[in-house]
Amino acid sequence: MFDFKVLLESTIDIAAAVPRTLVLAIVILLLSLVVGTVIALIQQFKVPVFSQIIKVLQSFLRGTPNVVLLLLMYYALPEILSFFAGILGIEFDPNNLNPVITVIVTFTISYSVFQSEIIRGSILSIDKGQIEAAQSLGFSSWQTFRRVIVPQALVEAFPDIINSLMVIIKALSLAYLITVVDILAQAKMVGALTYRYLEAFIGAALIYWMIGIILTFVANRFELKLRRGFH
Amino acid sequence: MDIGYMVEIFPKLIATLPITLSIIITSAILGLLLSIGVTALRIKKIKFLSPILEAYISFMRSVPILLLLFIVYYGLPVFFSLLNLDINDLSGIVAAMITLIIFNGAYLSEILRPAYLAIDKGQHEAANSLGYTPFAKFRKIVVPQMAPIALPGLGNAVIYLIHDTSLVFTIGVVDILGKANLILASSYGENKVEVYLTIALIYWGLCLLSDRLVKFFENHTYISKIQKRRMFGSKFGKGNIQSHSD
Repeated sequence: MFDFKVLLESTIDIAAAVPRTLVLAIVILLLSLVVGTVIALIQQFKVPVFSQIIKVLQSFLRGTPNVVLLLLMYYALPEILSFFAGILGIEFDPNNLNPVITVIVTFTISYSVFQSEIIRGSILSIDKGQIEAAQSLGFSSWQTFRRVIVPQALVEAFPDIINSLMVIIKALSLAYLITVVDILAQAKMVGALTYRYLEAFIGAALIYWMIGIILTFVANRFELKLRRGFH
Repeated sequence: MDIGYMVEIFPKLIATLPITLSIIITSAILGLLLSIGVTALRIKKIKFLSPILEAYISFMRSVPILLLLFIVYYGLPVFFSLLNLDINDLSGIVAAMITLIIFNGAYLSEILRPAYLAIDKGQHEAANSLGYTPFAKFRKIVVPQMAPIALPGLGNAVIYLIHDTSLVFTIGVVDILGKANLILASSYGENKVEVYLTIALIYWGLCLLSDRLVKFFENHTYISKIQKRRMFGSKFGKGNIQSHSD
Protein backbone atom coordinates (compact mmCIF):
# COMPACT_ATOMS: atom_id res chain seq x y z
CA MET A 1 0.00 0.00 0.00
CA PHE A 2 2.62 2.48 1.11
CA ASP A 3 6.09 2.09 -0.40
CA PHE A 4 9.03 3.69 1.40
CA LYS A 5 11.37 3.19 -1.55
CA VAL A 6 9.03 5.20 -3.75
CA LEU A 7 8.81 7.82 -1.01
CA LEU A 8 12.58 8.21 -0.98
CA GLU A 9 12.85 8.39 -4.77
CA SER A 10 9.97 10.84 -5.04
CA THR A 11 11.43 13.07 -2.34
CA ILE A 12 14.73 13.28 -4.22
CA ASP A 13 12.89 14.12 -7.45
CA ILE A 14 10.75 16.75 -5.74
CA ALA A 15 13.76 18.35 -4.06
CA ALA A 16 14.81 19.55 -7.53
CA ALA A 17 12.07 22.20 -7.28
CA VAL A 18 13.34 23.61 -3.97
CA PRO A 19 15.88 26.13 -5.38
CA ARG A 20 13.29 27.49 -7.81
CA THR A 21 10.71 27.88 -5.04
CA LEU A 22 13.19 29.56 -2.71
CA VAL A 23 14.37 32.01 -5.37
CA LEU A 24 10.79 32.88 -6.26
CA ALA A 25 9.91 33.34 -2.58
CA ILE A 26 12.94 35.55 -1.91
CA VAL A 27 12.19 37.71 -4.98
CA ILE A 28 8.61 38.16 -3.76
CA LEU A 29 9.82 38.87 -0.21
CA LEU A 30 12.27 41.57 -1.33
CA LEU A 31 9.79 43.22 -3.70
CA SER A 32 7.07 43.17 -1.07
CA LEU A 33 9.46 44.70 1.47
CA VAL A 34 10.22 47.55 -0.92
CA VAL A 35 6.55 48.15 -1.74
CA GLY A 36 5.67 47.66 1.93
CA THR A 37 8.11 50.39 2.95
CA VAL A 38 6.50 52.77 0.46
CA ILE A 39 3.05 51.89 1.83
CA ALA A 40 4.26 52.37 5.41
CA LEU A 41 5.64 55.81 4.52
CA ILE A 42 2.39 56.79 2.78
CA GLN A 43 0.42 55.79 5.86
CA GLN A 44 2.85 57.43 8.25
CA PHE A 45 2.70 60.79 6.48
CA LYS A 46 -1.01 60.35 5.61
CA VAL A 47 -0.57 61.23 1.93
CA PRO A 48 -4.06 62.27 0.74
CA VAL A 49 -5.90 59.99 -1.76
CA PHE A 50 -3.15 57.34 -1.65
CA SER A 51 -3.62 56.55 2.02
CA GLN A 52 -7.38 56.15 1.52
CA ILE A 53 -6.83 53.85 -1.48
CA ILE A 54 -4.39 51.79 0.57
CA LYS A 55 -6.89 51.50 3.40
CA VAL A 56 -9.52 50.01 1.06
CA LEU A 57 -6.89 47.79 -0.57
CA GLN A 58 -5.79 46.58 2.84
CA SER A 59 -9.31 45.58 3.76
CA PHE A 60 -9.85 43.91 0.37
CA LEU A 61 -6.61 41.92 0.54
CA ARG A 62 -7.33 40.85 4.10
CA GLY A 63 -10.74 39.59 3.02
CA THR A 64 -9.81 37.81 -0.21
CA PRO A 65 -8.19 34.37 -0.22
CA ASN A 66 -4.94 34.09 -2.15
CA VAL A 67 -6.41 31.50 -4.51
CA VAL A 68 -9.16 33.84 -5.63
CA LEU A 69 -6.68 36.70 -5.97
CA LEU A 70 -4.29 34.56 -7.99
CA LEU A 71 -6.99 33.30 -10.38
CA LEU A 72 -8.40 36.82 -10.71
CA MET A 73 -4.98 38.23 -11.55
CA TYR A 74 -4.22 35.33 -13.91
CA TYR A 75 -7.10 36.41 -16.13
CA ALA A 76 -7.14 40.15 -15.42
CA LEU A 77 -3.43 41.01 -15.47
CA PRO A 78 -2.87 40.46 -19.21
CA GLU A 79 -5.83 42.73 -19.96
CA ILE A 80 -4.63 45.39 -17.52
CA LEU A 81 -1.10 45.29 -18.93
CA SER A 82 -2.26 45.42 -22.53
CA PHE A 83 -4.45 48.40 -21.63
CA PHE A 84 -1.45 50.32 -20.29
CA ALA A 85 0.75 49.12 -23.15
CA GLY A 86 -1.87 50.45 -25.54
CA ILE A 87 -1.74 53.90 -23.91
CA LEU A 88 2.04 53.95 -24.07
CA GLY A 89 2.01 52.58 -27.61
CA ILE A 90 4.12 49.52 -26.79
CA GLU A 91 3.66 46.25 -28.64
CA PHE A 92 2.35 43.71 -26.11
CA ASP A 93 0.78 40.31 -26.61
CA PRO A 94 -1.51 39.56 -23.64
CA ASN A 95 -1.50 35.83 -24.40
CA ASN A 96 2.24 35.69 -24.03
CA LEU A 97 2.47 36.74 -20.38
CA ASN A 98 4.55 34.33 -18.34
CA PRO A 99 2.52 33.01 -15.38
CA VAL A 100 5.61 33.40 -13.18
CA ILE A 101 5.18 37.18 -13.62
CA THR A 102 1.55 36.85 -12.54
CA VAL A 103 2.58 34.94 -9.41
CA ILE A 104 5.25 37.51 -8.52
CA VAL A 105 2.92 40.48 -9.07
CA THR A 106 0.01 38.93 -7.17
CA PHE A 107 1.95 37.87 -4.11
CA THR A 108 3.96 41.10 -4.06
CA ILE A 109 0.73 43.09 -3.88
CA SER A 110 -0.83 40.68 -1.42
CA TYR A 111 2.11 40.57 0.99
CA SER A 112 3.36 44.17 0.69
CA VAL A 113 0.34 45.27 2.71
CA PHE A 114 1.31 42.88 5.50
CA GLN A 115 5.00 43.83 5.28
CA SER A 116 4.01 47.47 5.68
CA GLU A 117 2.47 46.58 9.05
CA ILE A 118 5.67 44.82 10.12
CA ILE A 119 7.80 47.76 8.99
CA ARG A 120 5.55 50.32 10.68
CA GLY A 121 5.59 48.38 13.92
CA SER A 122 9.35 47.98 13.91
CA ILE A 123 9.98 51.67 13.21
CA LEU A 124 7.50 52.74 15.88
CA SER A 125 9.18 50.43 18.39
CA ILE A 126 12.37 52.51 18.27
CA ASP A 127 12.80 54.75 21.29
CA LYS A 128 12.35 58.42 20.46
CA GLY A 129 15.44 59.23 22.50
CA GLN A 130 17.55 57.41 19.92
CA ILE A 131 16.46 59.79 17.18
CA GLU A 132 16.85 62.82 19.43
CA ALA A 133 20.34 61.67 20.42
CA ALA A 134 21.29 61.26 16.77
CA GLN A 135 19.96 64.73 15.97
CA SER A 136 21.82 66.31 18.88
CA LEU A 137 25.01 64.65 17.63
CA GLY A 138 24.47 66.43 14.33
CA PHE A 139 23.37 63.48 12.16
CA SER A 140 21.51 64.46 9.01
CA SER A 141 18.06 62.90 8.64
CA TRP A 142 19.38 60.41 6.04
CA GLN A 143 22.23 59.45 8.39
CA THR A 144 19.76 59.06 11.25
CA PHE A 145 17.63 56.81 9.05
CA ARG A 146 20.53 54.69 7.80
CA ARG A 147 22.67 54.45 10.92
CA VAL A 148 20.14 54.61 13.75
CA ILE A 149 16.66 53.66 12.59
CA VAL A 150 17.34 50.91 10.03
CA PRO A 151 19.73 48.76 12.13
CA GLN A 152 17.40 48.76 15.09
CA ALA A 153 14.21 48.35 13.07
CA LEU A 154 15.80 45.42 11.23
CA VAL A 155 16.52 43.58 14.49
CA GLU A 156 12.96 44.18 15.59
CA ALA A 157 11.47 43.05 12.26
CA PHE A 158 13.82 40.13 11.59
CA PRO A 159 11.74 37.30 13.10
CA ASP A 160 8.62 38.60 11.36
CA ILE A 161 10.44 38.84 8.02
CA ILE A 162 11.67 35.23 8.28
CA ASN A 163 8.17 34.20 9.24
CA SER A 164 6.72 35.94 6.21
CA LEU A 165 9.29 34.17 4.01
CA MET A 166 7.82 30.90 5.28
CA VAL A 167 4.31 32.17 4.64
CA ILE A 168 5.27 33.10 1.07
CA ILE A 169 6.88 29.68 0.46
CA LYS A 170 3.65 28.08 1.63
CA ALA A 171 1.51 30.42 -0.45
CA LEU A 172 3.53 29.53 -3.56
CA SER A 173 1.95 26.06 -3.37
CA LEU A 174 -1.09 27.68 -4.99
CA ALA A 175 0.96 28.52 -8.07
CA TYR A 176 0.34 25.07 -9.56
CA LEU A 177 -3.18 26.27 -10.36
CA ILE A 178 -1.70 28.65 -12.92
CA THR A 179 0.94 26.20 -14.22
CA VAL A 180 3.97 27.50 -12.26
CA VAL A 181 6.08 24.61 -10.97
CA ASP A 182 7.01 24.85 -7.29
CA ILE A 183 7.45 22.06 -4.72
CA LEU A 184 3.80 21.04 -4.68
CA ALA A 185 3.44 21.13 -8.46
CA GLN A 186 6.61 19.04 -8.75
CA ALA A 187 5.08 16.55 -6.31
CA LYS A 188 1.97 16.34 -8.47
CA MET A 189 4.08 15.66 -11.57
CA VAL A 190 6.22 13.05 -9.82
CA GLY A 191 3.05 11.43 -8.50
CA ALA A 192 1.56 11.35 -11.99
CA LEU A 193 4.69 9.63 -13.34
CA THR A 194 4.83 6.92 -10.67
CA TYR A 195 1.04 6.61 -10.07
CA ARG A 196 1.95 7.09 -6.37
CA TYR A 197 0.40 10.36 -5.33
CA LEU A 198 0.41 9.75 -1.60
CA GLU A 199 4.15 9.03 -1.43
CA ALA A 200 4.87 12.11 -3.52
CA PHE A 201 2.71 14.34 -1.33
CA ILE A 202 4.26 13.04 1.88
CA GLY A 203 7.71 13.55 0.37
CA ALA A 204 6.77 17.15 -0.43
CA ALA A 205 5.44 17.62 3.10
CA LEU A 206 8.76 16.38 4.52
CA ILE A 207 10.61 18.89 2.33
CA TYR A 208 8.39 21.74 3.50
CA TRP A 209 8.90 20.61 7.09
CA MET A 210 12.68 20.66 6.67
CA ILE A 211 12.52 24.18 5.21
CA GLY A 212 10.34 25.27 8.13
CA ILE A 213 12.69 23.81 10.74
CA ILE A 214 15.75 25.39 9.10
CA LEU A 215 14.08 28.80 8.86
CA THR A 216 12.97 28.69 12.50
CA PHE A 217 16.53 27.77 13.51
CA VAL A 218 18.01 30.60 11.42
CA ALA A 219 15.51 33.09 12.84
CA ASN A 220 16.31 32.17 16.45
CA ARG A 221 20.06 32.07 15.89
CA PHE A 222 20.33 35.37 14.05
CA GLU A 223 17.93 37.16 16.32
CA LEU A 224 20.16 36.40 19.30
CA LYS A 225 23.24 37.45 17.37
CA LEU A 226 21.71 40.69 16.11
CA ARG A 227 20.40 41.60 19.53
CA ARG A 228 23.77 41.03 21.10
CA GLY A 229 25.39 43.15 18.38
CA PHE A 230 23.32 46.26 18.97
CA HIS A 231 22.60 46.26 22.67
CA MET B 1 -16.24 44.60 -17.57
CA ASP B 2 -19.81 43.31 -17.42
CA ILE B 3 -21.55 44.34 -14.18
CA GLY B 4 -24.85 42.83 -15.32
CA TYR B 5 -23.23 39.40 -15.65
CA MET B 6 -21.78 39.72 -12.14
CA VAL B 7 -25.25 40.42 -10.74
CA GLU B 8 -26.62 37.49 -12.73
CA ILE B 9 -24.17 34.89 -11.37
CA PHE B 10 -24.17 36.27 -7.81
CA PRO B 11 -27.19 34.20 -6.61
CA LYS B 12 -25.74 31.03 -8.18
CA LEU B 13 -22.47 31.50 -6.32
CA ILE B 14 -24.05 32.51 -3.04
CA ALA B 15 -26.22 29.36 -3.14
CA THR B 16 -23.12 27.28 -2.36
CA LEU B 17 -22.36 29.32 0.75
CA PRO B 18 -23.95 26.77 3.17
CA ILE B 19 -21.25 24.23 2.25
CA THR B 20 -18.48 26.75 2.91
CA LEU B 21 -20.09 27.92 6.13
CA SER B 22 -20.66 24.40 7.44
CA ILE B 23 -16.98 23.58 6.85
CA ILE B 24 -15.93 26.84 8.54
CA ILE B 25 -18.16 26.43 11.60
CA THR B 26 -17.44 22.71 12.15
CA SER B 27 -13.70 23.11 11.84
CA ALA B 28 -13.66 26.29 13.93
CA ILE B 29 -15.48 24.67 16.86
CA LEU B 30 -13.77 21.27 16.76
CA GLY B 31 -10.40 22.87 15.96
CA LEU B 32 -10.75 25.14 18.98
CA LEU B 33 -11.59 22.16 21.21
CA LEU B 34 -8.60 20.21 19.88
CA SER B 35 -6.33 23.20 20.39
CA ILE B 36 -7.50 23.60 24.00
CA GLY B 37 -6.53 19.98 24.61
CA VAL B 38 -3.19 20.42 22.86
CA THR B 39 -2.47 23.62 24.79
CA ALA B 40 -3.32 21.98 28.12
CA LEU B 41 -1.00 19.06 27.37
CA ARG B 42 1.80 21.40 26.24
CA ILE B 43 1.54 23.47 29.40
CA LYS B 44 1.64 20.35 31.60
CA LYS B 45 4.97 19.36 29.93
CA ILE B 46 4.50 15.57 29.92
CA LYS B 47 7.79 13.80 29.27
CA PHE B 48 7.20 11.77 26.11
CA LEU B 49 4.19 13.61 24.79
CA SER B 50 5.59 17.12 24.53
CA PRO B 51 8.28 16.39 21.87
CA ILE B 52 5.54 14.76 19.78
CA LEU B 53 3.31 17.80 20.24
CA GLU B 54 6.13 20.17 19.31
CA ALA B 55 6.77 18.11 16.16
CA TYR B 56 3.05 18.20 15.34
CA ILE B 57 2.96 21.97 15.70
CA SER B 58 6.12 22.61 13.70
CA PHE B 59 4.83 20.27 10.96
CA MET B 60 1.49 22.09 10.76
CA ARG B 61 3.25 25.45 10.66
CA SER B 62 5.55 24.52 7.78
CA VAL B 63 3.31 22.52 5.43
CA PRO B 64 0.94 24.41 3.13
CA ILE B 65 -2.72 23.77 3.82
CA LEU B 66 -3.26 22.71 0.21
CA LEU B 67 -0.73 19.89 0.57
CA LEU B 68 -2.27 18.88 3.88
CA LEU B 69 -5.64 18.69 2.15
CA PHE B 70 -4.23 16.36 -0.52
CA ILE B 71 -2.50 14.15 2.06
CA VAL B 72 -5.69 13.72 4.08
CA TYR B 73 -7.84 13.20 1.00
CA TYR B 74 -5.58 10.56 -0.59
CA GLY B 75 -3.97 9.25 2.58
CA LEU B 76 -6.87 8.62 4.91
CA PRO B 77 -8.43 5.78 2.85
CA VAL B 78 -4.97 4.13 2.68
CA PHE B 79 -4.51 4.57 6.42
CA PHE B 80 -7.89 3.03 7.15
CA SER B 81 -7.33 0.12 4.78
CA LEU B 82 -4.24 -0.74 6.85
CA LEU B 83 -6.65 -1.08 9.78
CA ASN B 84 -8.91 -3.26 7.59
CA LEU B 85 -11.57 -0.59 7.41
CA ASP B 86 -12.98 0.27 4.04
CA ILE B 87 -13.70 3.95 3.35
CA ASN B 88 -12.65 4.27 -0.25
CA ASP B 89 -15.14 7.01 -0.93
CA LEU B 90 -14.13 9.60 1.63
CA SER B 91 -16.17 12.64 0.77
CA GLY B 92 -14.29 15.81 0.01
CA ILE B 93 -16.21 17.80 2.62
CA VAL B 94 -15.24 15.39 5.41
CA ALA B 95 -11.60 15.40 4.27
CA ALA B 96 -11.63 19.20 4.26
CA MET B 97 -13.11 19.32 7.75
CA ILE B 98 -10.54 16.81 9.12
CA THR B 99 -7.69 18.77 7.53
CA LEU B 100 -8.81 22.10 8.91
CA ILE B 101 -9.46 20.65 12.37
CA ILE B 102 -5.98 19.14 12.71
CA PHE B 103 -4.44 22.29 11.26
CA ASN B 104 -6.30 24.62 13.61
CA GLY B 105 -5.60 22.37 16.58
CA ALA B 106 -1.95 23.30 16.14
CA TYR B 107 -2.40 26.87 14.91
CA LEU B 108 -4.81 28.01 17.62
CA SER B 109 -2.66 26.43 20.30
CA GLU B 110 0.09 28.86 19.27
CA ILE B 111 -2.36 31.65 20.13
CA LEU B 112 -3.79 30.16 23.32
CA ARG B 113 -0.50 29.12 24.92
CA PRO B 114 1.08 32.61 25.04
CA ALA B 115 -2.26 33.99 26.27
CA TYR B 116 -2.28 31.45 29.11
CA LEU B 117 1.38 32.03 29.96
CA ALA B 118 0.77 35.78 30.08
CA ILE B 119 -1.36 35.38 33.22
CA ASP B 120 0.58 36.35 36.29
CA LYS B 121 1.61 33.45 38.55
CA GLY B 122 0.26 35.34 41.55
CA GLN B 123 -3.24 35.06 40.10
CA HIS B 124 -3.05 31.26 40.27
CA GLU B 125 -1.62 31.36 43.76
CA ALA B 126 -4.27 33.78 44.96
CA ALA B 127 -7.05 31.64 43.50
CA ASN B 128 -5.61 28.49 45.06
CA SER B 129 -5.19 30.14 48.44
CA LEU B 130 -8.82 31.31 48.29
CA GLY B 131 -9.85 27.69 47.81
CA TYR B 132 -11.12 27.88 44.23
CA THR B 133 -11.72 24.52 42.60
CA PRO B 134 -9.69 24.06 39.38
CA PHE B 135 -12.80 24.53 37.28
CA ALA B 136 -13.89 27.67 39.13
CA LYS B 137 -10.37 29.04 38.83
CA PHE B 138 -10.39 28.34 35.10
CA ARG B 139 -13.78 29.95 34.58
CA LYS B 140 -13.46 32.98 36.85
CA ILE B 141 -9.73 33.77 36.81
CA VAL B 142 -8.07 32.23 33.77
CA VAL B 143 -10.60 32.69 30.96
CA PRO B 144 -11.47 36.35 31.67
CA GLN B 145 -7.78 37.24 31.58
CA MET B 146 -6.97 35.09 28.55
CA ALA B 147 -9.84 36.41 26.43
CA PRO B 148 -8.57 39.95 25.73
CA ILE B 149 -5.10 38.63 24.82
CA ALA B 150 -6.29 35.74 22.67
CA LEU B 151 -9.30 37.31 20.93
CA PRO B 152 -7.46 39.40 18.28
CA GLY B 153 -5.37 36.33 17.36
CA LEU B 154 -8.47 34.14 17.24
CA GLY B 155 -10.18 36.71 15.03
CA ASN B 156 -7.27 36.54 12.59
CA ALA B 157 -7.44 32.76 12.74
CA VAL B 158 -11.09 32.85 11.68
CA ILE B 159 -10.14 35.03 8.70
CA TYR B 160 -7.40 32.56 7.74
CA LEU B 161 -9.87 29.70 8.17
CA ILE B 162 -12.25 31.40 5.74
CA HIS B 163 -9.34 31.80 3.30
CA ASP B 164 -8.26 28.18 3.70
CA THR B 165 -11.79 26.95 3.09
CA SER B 166 -11.58 28.40 -0.41
CA LEU B 167 -9.08 25.65 -1.28
CA VAL B 168 -11.53 22.77 -0.91
CA PHE B 169 -12.52 22.98 -4.58
CA THR B 170 -9.17 21.30 -5.39
CA ILE B 171 -10.46 18.03 -3.94
CA GLY B 172 -13.75 18.21 -5.78
CA VAL B 173 -16.06 19.95 -3.31
CA VAL B 174 -18.51 22.24 -5.08
CA ASP B 175 -18.03 25.34 -2.96
CA ILE B 176 -17.96 28.88 -4.37
CA LEU B 177 -14.85 28.29 -6.50
CA GLY B 178 -16.08 24.82 -7.50
CA LYS B 179 -19.35 26.38 -8.65
CA ALA B 180 -17.36 29.05 -10.50
CA ASN B 181 -15.54 26.33 -12.43
CA LEU B 182 -18.89 24.79 -13.37
CA ILE B 183 -20.24 28.17 -14.50
CA LEU B 184 -17.08 28.81 -16.53
CA ALA B 185 -17.30 25.35 -18.10
CA SER B 186 -20.89 25.93 -19.21
CA SER B 187 -20.11 29.37 -20.61
CA TYR B 188 -16.95 28.15 -22.41
CA GLY B 189 -14.68 30.29 -20.22
CA GLU B 190 -16.32 33.62 -20.99
CA ASN B 191 -16.20 36.46 -18.43
CA LYS B 192 -13.59 34.81 -16.22
CA VAL B 193 -12.53 38.11 -14.67
CA GLU B 194 -16.12 38.97 -13.69
CA VAL B 195 -16.67 35.56 -12.07
CA TYR B 196 -13.52 35.72 -9.95
CA LEU B 197 -14.13 39.36 -9.03
CA THR B 198 -17.60 38.43 -7.76
CA ILE B 199 -16.08 35.65 -5.66
CA ALA B 200 -13.49 38.03 -4.25
CA LEU B 201 -16.28 40.42 -3.25
CA ILE B 202 -18.24 37.60 -1.58
CA TYR B 203 -15.20 36.57 0.47
CA TRP B 204 -14.50 40.20 1.33
CA GLY B 205 -18.04 40.52 2.69
CA LEU B 206 -17.69 37.29 4.66
CA CYS B 207 -14.46 38.48 6.27
CA LEU B 208 -15.86 41.92 7.12
CA LEU B 209 -18.79 40.16 8.79
CA SER B 210 -16.55 37.92 10.87
CA ASP B 211 -14.42 40.93 11.85
CA ARG B 212 -17.59 42.61 13.13
CA LEU B 213 -18.47 39.51 15.13
CA VAL B 214 -15.03 39.36 16.76
CA LYS B 215 -15.20 43.09 17.58
CA PHE B 216 -18.53 42.43 19.28
CA PHE B 217 -16.96 39.74 21.48
CA GLU B 218 -13.95 41.93 22.20
CA ASN B 219 -16.25 44.66 23.50
CA HIS B 220 -17.93 42.20 25.82
CA THR B 221 -14.87 40.82 27.60
CA TYR B 222 -14.58 41.49 31.30
CA ILE B 223 -11.53 43.74 30.92
CA SER B 224 -13.19 46.02 28.37
CA LYS B 225 -16.23 46.32 30.65
CA ILE B 226 -13.98 47.44 33.49
CA GLN B 227 -12.28 49.92 31.19
CA LYS B 228 -15.63 51.36 30.16
CA ARG B 229 -16.71 51.69 33.77
CA ARG B 230 -13.47 53.49 34.54
CA MET B 231 -14.02 55.91 31.69
CA PHE B 232 -17.50 56.70 32.99
CA GLY B 233 -16.21 57.08 36.52
CA SER B 234 -13.62 59.66 35.59
CA LYS B 235 -15.99 61.45 33.22
CA PHE B 236 -18.58 62.17 35.84
CA GLY B 237 -16.03 62.89 38.55
CA LYS B 238 -16.99 60.05 40.87
CA GLY B 239 -13.51 59.98 42.34
CA ASN B 240 -10.44 58.78 40.50
CA ILE B 241 -11.16 55.06 40.24
CA GLN B 242 -8.29 54.53 37.86
CA SER B 243 -5.51 55.33 40.31
CA HIS B 244 -7.42 53.65 43.09
CA SER B 245 -7.70 50.24 41.47
CA ASP B 246 -4.23 50.28 39.94
